[in-house]
Amino acid sequence: MSELRAVGISKSFGAVGVLDRIHLAVQAGETYALLGPSGCGKSTLLRVMAGFESADEGRVELDGRVVTRPSPERGMVAQAGTLFPWLSLRDNLAFGPREAGRRDSEQIVADLLAATGLADFADALPRQLSGGMRQRAAIAQVLANGPPVLLLDEPFAALDAQTRLRMHEWLRTVLVARETTTLLVTHDVDEALLLADRLGLLSARPARVVEEIPVPFGGERGRHTLSDPSFVRMKAQILDRVLVA
Amino acid sequence: MPVLTDLAALAQAERADLPPARAVSPVRRRWRRALGIVVPLLLVGGWALASGREWISAGLLPAPWTVAEAARDFFFGERRTTLVGVVAFDGAGWGHVGASIYRCAVSFALAVVVGISVGLALGLSRWVSDFFDPVINALRSVPLYAWLPISLIWFGIGEGAARALIFIGALWPVLIATADSVARVPRAHIETARMLGTPRHRLWRRVYVPSALPEIVTGLRLSLTLAWMCVIVGELTGTSTGVGAMMNAARETGRIDEIVVGMFVFAIVGYSADLVLRMLARPWVRWADT
Repeated sequence: MSELRAVGISKSFGAVGVLDRIHLAVQAGETYALLGPSGCGKSTLLRVMAGFESADEGRVELDGRVVTRPSPERGMVAQAGTLFPWLSLRDNLAFGPREAGRRDSEQIVADLLAATGLADFADALPRQLSGGMRQRAAIAQVLANGPPVLLLDEPFAALDAQTRLRMHEWLRTVLVARETTTLLVTHDVDEALLLADRLGLLSARPARVVEEIPVPFGGERGRHTLSDPSFVRMKAQILDRVLVA
Repeated sequence: MPVLTDLAALAQAERADLPPARAVSPVRRRWRRALGIVVPLLLVGGWALASGREWISAGLLPAPWTVAEAARDFFFGERRTTLVGVVAFDGAGWGHVGASIYRCAVSFALAVVVGISVGLALGLSRWVSDFFDPVINALRSVPLYAWLPISLIWFGIGEGAARALIFIGALWPVLIATADSVARVPRAHIETARMLGTPRHRLWRRVYVPSALPEIVTGLRLSLTLAWMCVIVGELTGTSTGVGAMMNAARETGRIDEIVVGMFVFAIVGYSADLVLRMLARPWVRWADT
């Protein structure tokens, strides 16, 4: 398990300030959700954490080590998915292990196909899968490298409400089982409360972390959690703060 | 990896969301293929009718049966000895077709190697593109016939000039398609590959080429068609073999039936070559089918 930290990260695009001295620490094995208004710079922060963008100031640390470039140890999944359209699902999942020269790539793929419930679709192309299957496969593609850190940028935003809820239940079990350190960016409060152990609220652009809130629900969360009175109350409070931020 | 979710129920629910399969029944597929034969049959039927009723002068366009006889002589007639430099017709069909195909294949292969290599360099490097793009765009605007005189001077009358002209004609489509499609590979694919551990020097093989392949194949098809069309231009430079050389000789002797045979040969070989190329490329580009 690894600890991921953002230390004083600032980023501007021309004259537009996007991130303003962001400090946050995702503990080893923790799922941390960043919530904020649309366009506040959540995705930019995640791209900096992944090494796809450089910070103007500050640094990203993984277990105390400064990291700057994209790497299999920080797997990122975006809203649009990251599958290669010319590869079958099986080859998409095997992409990372093959690049690493792993000899057990077939076993890794078989395990992931079973864990995602996609074994029947191993030879399908991404376009032949449903939206939920594609996003699950994209997460599995990243998990195939066994990354200590997972970066999720609104991974289920394009899905309908029922599919999204199923994906939340599935992902929660995966994250708990693998104890992967996860930074999730979302504007969906339900998603944040169902998946995260801790929330960070971001202000409007240029984004700063204005508040951190622990999520008090236990390990097993799912559709039953949505109707829990404490869940409903907490969701309302967070929505109030997000709308003010 | 243990997973607590009921994956069977999840998969069941998702099957309903799968994009509809576009399966076409074999009977329907056969019908659709048969439709492609209808227009050529109608054209030949109309041509036969017009010739039979003498609506068209045989001096301008011989009847289909006259052309069929010429084709028979071309491929199966008795081979006659000709003087050196005189283009043979009777029984020389396979030789001429083979010579044209070989000439075309050699130049096309060279154009593909050069076109894809230069196209990759242009597409992968903004610096290379800025440097060479104006020259390449200017050069590809030069008409093929404008290359004819200089080809004759540089490569001499005959084989060298013919191959050079076919190469020039075939080069541009594959080069432009490669450069353009490689430059437009989605950034997300490159970032994903980098994140999954692909080093920069392997990106071209793992991401750029497979992602750009459908458009490169389209470029290859255009290049192949142009290469085949340029064969006749190349064979006007004084080759003694090839379908173009035969047609040029037929023009000099006023044998329109032999010219039409040559046109049919060009059409059939060109169409077949495109069909073969599409079949060979299909496994690599089927992902891009809509």
